[in-house]
Amino acid sequence: MDEESERAKRWEGGYERTWEVLKEDESGSLKATVEELLFQSKRKRVIVSHGQVRLGMMRHLFVVIDCSRSMEDQDLKPNRLTSTLKLMEAFIDEYFDQNPISQVGIITTKNKRAEKLTDLTGNPKKHIAALKKAVDTVCLGEPSLYNSLSLAIQTLKHMPGHTSREILIILSSLTTCDPSNIYEIIKTLKSLKIRVSVIGLSAEVRVCTVLTRETGGLYHVILDESHFKELLMLHIKPPPASSSSECSLIRMGFPQHTVASLTDQDAKPSFSMSHLDSSSGPGLSLGGYFCPQCHAKYTELPVECKVCGLTLVSAPHLARSFHHLFPLQPFVESSVEELQGNRFCQACQGELKDKNIFTCPSCHSVFCVECDLFVHDSLHCCPCCIHSQNTPL
Amino acid sequence: MKLNIEGLLVYFPYDYIYPEQYSYMLELKRTLDAKGHGVLEMPSGTGKTISLLSLIVAYQRAFPLEASKLIYCSRTVPEIEKVVEELRKLMEFYSKETGENNNFLALALSSRKNLCIHPEVSSLRFGKEVDGKCHSLTASYIRAQRHSNPNLAVCRFYEEFDAVGRQVPLPAGIYNLDDLKDFGRRKGWCPYYLARYSILHANIVVYSYHYLLDPKIADLVSKELAKKSVVVFDEAHNIDNVCIDSMSVNITRRMLDRCHNNVDTLQNTIHKIKETDAAKLKEEYRRLVEGLKEANVARETDIYLANPVLPDEILQEAVPGTIRTAEHFVGFLRRFLEYLKSRLRVQHVVQESAAQFLKDIFEKVCIDRKPLRFCSERLQSLLRTLEIADIADFSAVTLISNFATLVSTYSQGFTIIIEPFEDRTPTIANPVLHFSCMDPSIAIKPVFQRFQSVIITSGTLSPLDIYPRILDFRPVTIASFTMTLARTCLCPLIVGRGNDQVALSSKFETREDFAVIRNYGNLLLEMSAIVPDGIVAFFTSYVYMENIVASWYEQGILENIQRNKLIFIETQDAAETSMALEKYQEACENGRGAILLSVARGKVSEGIDFVHHFGRAVIMFGMPYVYTQSRILKARLEYLRDQFQIRENDFLTFDAMRHAAQCVGRVIRGKTDYGLMIFADKRYARADKRGKLPRWIQEHISDSSLNLTVDEAIQLSKHFLRQMAQPFRREDQLGLSLLTLKQLESEEMLQKITQIAHQT
Repeated sequence: MDEESERAKRWEGGYERTWEVLKEDESGSLKATVEELLFQSKRKRVIVSHGQVRLGMMRHLFVVIDCSRSMEDQDLKPNRLTSTLKLMEAFIDEYFDQNPISQVGIITTKNKRAEKLTDLTGNPKKHIAALKKAVDTVCLGEPSLYNSLSLAIQTLKHMPGHTSREILIILSSLTTCDPSNIYEIIKTLKSLKIRVSVIGLSAEVRVCTVLTRETGGLYHVILDESHFKELLMLHIKPPPASSSSECSLIRMGFPQHTVASLTDQDAKPSFSMSHLDSSSGPGLSLGGYFCPQCHAKYTELPVECKVCGLTLVSAPHLARSFHHLFPLQPFVESSVEELQGNRFCQACQGELKDKNIFTCPSCHSVFCVECDLFVHDSLHCCPCCIHSQNTPL
Repeated sequence: MKLNIEGLLVYFPYDYIYPEQYSYMLELKRTLDAKGHGVLEMPSGTGKTISLLSLIVAYQRAFPLEASKLIYCSRTVPEIEKVVEELRKLMEFYSKETGENNNFLALALSSRKNLCIHPEVSSLRFGKEVDGKCHSLTASYIRAQRHSNPNLAVCRFYEEFDAVGRQVPLPAGIYNLDDLKDFGRRKGWCPYYLARYSILHANIVVYSYHYLLDPKIADLVSKELAKKSVVVFDEAHNIDNVCIDSMSVNITRRMLDRCHNNVDTLQNTIHKIKETDAAKLKEEYRRLVEGLKEANVARETDIYLANPVLPDEILQEAVPGTIRTAEHFVGFLRRFLEYLKSRLRVQHVVQESAAQFLKDIFEKVCIDRKPLRFCSERLQSLLRTLEIADIADFSAVTLISNFATLVSTYSQGFTIIIEPFEDRTPTIANPVLHFSCMDPSIAIKPVFQRFQSVIITSGTLSPLDIYPRILDFRPVTIASFTMTLARTCLCPLIVGRGNDQVALSSKFETREDFAVIRNYGNLLLEMSAIVPDGIVAFFTSYVYMENIVASWYEQGILENIQRNKLIFIETQDAAETSMALEKYQEACENGRGAILLSVARGKVSEGIDFVHHFGRAVIMFGMPYVYTQSRILKARLEYLRDQFQIRENDFLTFDAMRHAAQCVGRVIRGKTDYGLMIFADKRYARADKRGKLPRWIQEHISDSSLNLTVDEAIQLSKHFLRQMAQPFRREDQLGLSLLTLKQLESEEMLQKITQIAHQT
């Protein structure tokens, strides 16, 4: 498995007392507890859905990455920084996959200063490129929560009120070096309704507890790398919108992808607007998405039109973020002994070997644990329900 | 919730209860039933105070004749206030549940400084000044003088109280210090005297140890308290030292000089009075012939520093003729002073018993034992007769006369040590006469004898059996309670080696060893990198701390630590320390993180709590043995060995371990709190040391964490801190360490609860 290989070498890890969790059953065998452990690790806690809550679907998120001296600590392999950046790449991908109409920016903080690595944009490639480059940064000095927060505020405060404004801090250091009283800036954040969440890499720091509590964010501390990943993924789901945030209608453009055929004499290759400022990337191309309002050309969606400011998306993007509003209900967990009839998983058709099975509450189909995870994490709909709805005429 | 504790209905003002609280109440009830004394150890932060209060109040309601009064002794004013607040909560719950207004009177009592509402007097800064000023306004002869001279200043609050306050009792209710002041202002009565008067009929009195243990104060405040009272000493792990301090006297040369001035003033005043009002002195003489037992109801305000405990027969006797007249007494004092002065002129250390001292004084200056015994009482009488308003000036001579009385009264349990210089500065002559009490049971004996039940309780009383021995009483209950935890929120680690395998220890031989100091520095440096917010580090003494910190500075360790956290240091200066403490908390609060370097037995180790982020880790550098070369200590150890059969080493270890436990106990102040406890000395791993830690700490020391290197300790700490940072909700505790009434009453739980109390 992927995770397994990423795991540290045994001799590099901390002292683990794996033997303490094991307990012998009556026959003196360890098999039962080992299986139990494996099962537990497979089954992640299903996030409790909020029901019908308004979610802040349009998100403006700043990720602050600590690049201070403590990021060189090797408790994550090969060190905290590399591991964090790698996970961040996955996070960015997943984030745009699930929140297509949202934007991200990255800030790094080290040596008592904060710098913008990337601006708020909806283009994942740019972020990932920046993250790849950042692996070589030298970690030094202390981070500054104050400076990074105020840098994020400078941009976020201009964002429209109907969007969800968030900051996610990945903090490795246990200290922060601030030019001024941090409680002032917490007040400002609160008044601007910016939600700040923190993922701590080492231990619980008081100021972060206050910061997240005041601004309504989440505060977690990682246990190991896989837990870190899990915690990052928590932030992919859009947060519930605060009831006081304004509502407004948003103009959106749905450009179609048109490719001029090479045979067409009139076809002229043109530059994509999004590539104007960056020197890299493909230059001229024939086809692309054309803004319905001003006909500016873009090679990628979603994007905000540089010329007229219209948000350009494709319909599948919108549809993809739809499942956050109507999440698939968690399946009912029960023991395999209670099941009558065939002991086969409805999805993979494999035999149900584990002790527990999962039943869809609406169509009562039975799934194994792997399929349950797949359905909830990736499909977001029950295949059997879909199947029964679309009975052929 | 309402509990049934072996047939007693107890109202408990919270919806949830910790299992150990239930167990604690059970033991307490049994102690009260047996009308005996008890020693109970329960970890701090598990609601000791409310358990005590709920049970005793319930007991008082059920058996009003058996336990008429609760006397709750605490150490500091904030602690007193906390107790009163808990009590208020309890009483509100009572009136809500029963629907009736119960006639309970509970009040806090503190010094004049905290209770005075007189605009001029209360603005004074020091307790002594307030007392002196108050005395000059309210003494009976001042007030008598006022009849002839109405222009004399007077405290109108006291006058008002004296006129009507005694007839009308204080209405039932709960009074903390501020409530008393408010009430006093409304009525125009003096809150201090009102409180002192009201404790006689109050159901619950909350005050400081000294009102009961210090014979000088106890005599005038607590003398008349009912015999059927229940006395509770909270935070009582240092009770033996409080007892000893209250009976010991130190005399320096400066004090003798001041004493000289006092005696001169006395003489002048006597001369003056003789010219104007000789009849007064004659009157006093007559009174002294009759005996000391006088009606001093009208004089309650006069006794400013009363006499130490005197056997009753002395009070019946008449003052001996040699010191009966004022001049003779002054002459007597002078002789005594000269004798003391000559004793202080020594070149080498002298140690002698009280009997030897008495013999010597008789031979040298012909002072008999009998007049010495009456010295303190005689002085009081003289001061009254001379109508000296500002008694605060006479503290020196009062002290000397107290010494005279004590030395001639007790032949056992005291020793006299005269040191020509301090050990640290052997070149500077600074002679001190220590009259030191070695037997804490002397001061506390009247308390045990008089009151029906005395409960000694604290978070750290281990080993429990030593307290009954050194305080010389026979308890009916001795119990230690553990902390039931839903998650192990304390992590005691014993670091015995550095990364280079050098044994870590603060023992005398390796004290100067650079390798040890470097490893200690390394430990602190590594901890500062992984522990969030606040770390408190304790050293064994100021000198040791200074040496180590200086050495760390030279080695550049301090600089490295400061990259992670700010460093604050406790000093002997109280103002400096409180400033450092304030800044330390600020640094913890705003995320910078801080380390407080302090000293075991110092102010920080005793009274300051480091809740939550203010203390995520405590590091004990070395074992806080008391300075064993001190002659006073040696004398005490000898006495303990001879009288109580306690071996020197046992007592020293006990004393060191209770202070270590006190220090590390500063971080855990409740079940939601968490903290690391690092014992950086390999001696802690030994069973005889470890076994003297409180049970609730001992339980969590696993065999694998007995002799760790710095690196191993860091790994374990990292893991622990991450575990503790995971969300912890109340529901996780329910049923395990937090119970509803229903859960409490289940069979299984009751079974478990019986295991919590550990009888010794």
